[in-house]
Amino acid sequence: MKRLQRCIRAISILVLCAFVFTASWFGWTVQKQSGRWIATSYNTRLSAARKNTLIGNIYDREGMTLASTDSEGNRVYNDDSRTRRAVSQTVGDTLSMSGTGVETFHAATLLGLSRGSLLDTVMNPSASTQGNSIRLTISAELCRYINKQFPEGYNGAVSIINYKTGEILGMVSMPYYDPEKVLNRSEDADASGSGYLNRNTQGQYAPGSIFKIVTLASVLEYLPGAQYASYECNGIWTYEGGQVTCAGNKAHGTMTLEEAFAQSCNVTFAKLAYELGAERLASTAKAFGFNDTFRFQDLILYDSSMDTRMPTIGDLAWTGVGQGKTLVSPLHMAMIAGTVANGGIMASPKLIADVITPSGNKALRVPDSPYGRAMQAGASDIIGGYMRTTVKNGTAHNADISGYTVCGKTGSAQVADNSDIETNAWFTGFVYDNEHPYAIAVVIEEGGSGSNLATRLAKKVLEKAIELGL
Amino acid sequence: MARRRGLDSKTLKRALTRANPHFLMVALTVFQVTAMLLLAFKSETVDWQAIGYAVFMPLASYMILKTFIRLWPVDRTLVILILFLCSVSLVTLKDIAKSPTTSNTQALYMMIGFVAMGFGIAFSRMRIDWRKASYVLMALAIPMAFSPFILGDWQYGALNWIELSLGGFTITAQPSEFVKPVLVICLAAQLSNHPGIKRAIFGVSFAAALCGVLLLQRDLGALLLYFLTTVAMFYAATSRLGLSLTGIGAGAACAVAAYNFLPYIQKRMAVFMNPWSDPMDSGYQIVQALIAIGSGGLFGMGLGMGLPRNIPLYHSDLIFAALCEEFGLVFAVCLLAVYALIFMRAVSIAMNARTSFHSLVAFGIAFMFALQTLVIVGGSIHLLPLTGITLPLVSAGGSSIVGTMAGLGLLIGVSTLNAEAEANDLRRMEWREGGGI
Repeated sequence: MKRLQRCIRAISILVLCAFVFTASWFGWTVQKQSGRWIATSYNTRLSAARKNTLIGNIYDREGMTLASTDSEGNRVYNDDSRTRRAVSQTVGDTLSMSGTGVETFHAATLLGLSRGSLLDTVMNPSASTQGNSIRLTISAELCRYINKQFPEGYNGAVSIINYKTGEILGMVSMPYYDPEKVLNRSEDADASGSGYLNRNTQGQYAPGSIFKIVTLASVLEYLPGAQYASYECNGIWTYEGGQVTCAGNKAHGTMTLEEAFAQSCNVTFAKLAYELGAERLASTAKAFGFNDTFRFQDLILYDSSMDTRMPTIGDLAWTGVGQGKTLVSPLHMAMIAGTVANGGIMASPKLIADVITPSGNKALRVPDSPYGRAMQAGASDIIGGYMRTTVKNGTAHNADISGYTVCGKTGSAQVADNSDIETNAWFTGFVYDNEHPYAIAVVIEEGGSGSNLATRLAKKVLEKAIELGL
Repeated sequence: MARRRGLDSKTLKRALTRANPHFLMVALTVFQVTAMLLLAFKSETVDWQAIGYAVFMPLASYMILKTFIRLWPVDRTLVILILFLCSVSLVTLKDIAKSPTTSNTQALYMMIGFVAMGFGIAFSRMRIDWRKASYVLMALAIPMAFSPFILGDWQYGALNWIELSLGGFTITAQPSEFVKPVLVICLAAQLSNHPGIKRAIFGVSFAAALCGVLLLQRDLGALLLYFLTTVAMFYAATSRLGLSLTGIGAGAACAVAAYNFLPYIQKRMAVFMNPWSDPMDSGYQIVQALIAIGSGGLFGMGLGMGLPRNIPLYHSDLIFAALCEEFGLVFAVCLLAVYALIFMRAVSIAMNARTSFHSLVAFGIAFMFALQTLVIVGGSIHLLPLTGITLPLVSAGGSSIVGTMAGLGLLIGVSTLNAEAEANDLRRMEWREGGGI
């Protein structure tokens, strides 16, 4: 009997620990994640709450009203049709047609439902009938300008952020939709289905050559002396089981690492990726946020992914030049460019400047801490220099703005094996300037070579941002 | 009893305070009456059904407790805690169920359950050769476990229901719920008196056979309960840690093998890993549960508020999520604490039992009860993969209520035997000390 009792006691203590663990985990997960659970378009409770609550307003960073509720309780969006469309996926709509917009993801705040902490609940026990207003970090004017300048007939996305603070200054996804028409049901909802998608945060694109920034960071970390070596390119590198070619099979000849980067030489970077090996390349990419589960409090950013095992030489080579199985969102790419400018530290993206309570006070918010250090400051200086060269006399020369230090990298990402389909045009870069710390990523679907449409658009957007002085 | 001398007025005092459940009974009544009155006056029209509940629930609780006390020296605190869980169930169902008959049916099942509990108490008090009786029970349990193959139908991806038509009446039942207490008795009988491996292996293989049947029926939740209860009882009875851990390892290996060969388990795991990838179809249940729990927040939307009917299976398997939405996190954690209290109470019964058979019965019932709570609560809050089992005594469902009550009856039966033995001890002590205390 004694032994029996001892065993029973042992198991019982285990079970009680399981109870305590379940209860603690339960409390923790509700406190930590309940906002995220509520804020989905699958939550039918939100539409019920919207009927009884005065939804808060949404402003841009200058205080321009993007969404408000009129005296009859109808939700109205900005008067200017182009502004409304330019910010459509960022702001979202009360029907949650664009499921990641502020109207959905921050619905609990806008409806005054988010009883965040124990303290909040004790202080205001009753849910008020008026929600909080939100001031966003985006500039409606800049978004409108991007929307206007976006090449006619193309789809794509533009993200521009402040790389020091992580604030999103502009975010435009093409095509767009008109929330006013959606609410009035005057537009066939499914007709422009892809307009509801925010390509900046939900888009999953092959990065193409702009991924060479990450490969270069890995090279600088793990292959000391690589930047002083010289590289040979005859336009094609044949390895066991396949080959890597440079654009148009053009031979770049003998060059330094800097020239290889500025000319976007695939052969050199494929060889470097092979030399690095899967483990080291994947570990650098991980530091830049690939394969991580992003949990930012201000917005939903879809995860960027890459193959971490890369069993064959071909996998490694193609991943090194940004093809392979790697997928990235434009906003994440802007963050990566911003990391180079910010001395190797990646800022967490921020979309919300202030939450204004019904009484007019600013709610206390603890912003996300920086995402983390992706590389050493020395490496980021070198990469920044290379990106400067790329703009001065490389593939991105169309982005140069006189009087400012614009750095960048172009990409032309193949989306299909069929060579009839144009490549996706990419540009990512930044203005190296304390007054104007902007990082940008532009993708134009089937826009051909990155150095053309994408780079020209990026230049215009950066000029406009500098002019606005955001 | 090694320390007879030390047991004097202190022990008596402890026994007396333990037996004073008036405060608990008052608290229970207050909960029942206030909750039901809230529901009665929540809308414009007065809900007379709720008022009926407000009157009859305290009466019924009082009667049940009195009847049990009159018949046997039962552990009153345990009975009151069970009554509390039943009240939570009725209040929640009265509030959230679409049809007013759901809570009535549940109340009826509970009455049947208390009768079953009475039978359970009487059964575990019987002085028979339990080892011989266990063979009869095993012979009964096996056809019961197999019955869904003949009488059953697939539902929610599992074959664990039977349908019986008796003269116009159709009864649906879940046999695995009734097999649970039978399994515990059989295992306890086979494993009592510190058996060797040879003797233990028979009982364990019986449990393994039942687990196999459940795997065929894809009733994974029940399978997990049966398996872990068997291992826990085996360890308690034989105190062979190595062998028990090997058993768990073998179970884990089987689970991995099952994962690799059975696509429906892979699907379940995929849903668990990322329910938000398919929130409208395979992830629907857990996503809606999490939304409800999140909406409830700390103190809940309030009784009668919120939209718990958006949760699939809100009245049965996922009632915990509905509870969270209505009553909030704080109440839900307190409810968990009540389950933990019942478990602790049951374990102390197991520790005080006078024979290893009774000790094992009480422990087996307690363990299965606690495990079932943890698995379904863990599933509802996305800590564990969601499996289709009920929250004991709270979820709607006749078989679950009656089966659980019968099992708890066995446990309470052991507690009555303990109380009688304790009283005998005290009387003997009085006699020895020559007079009253």
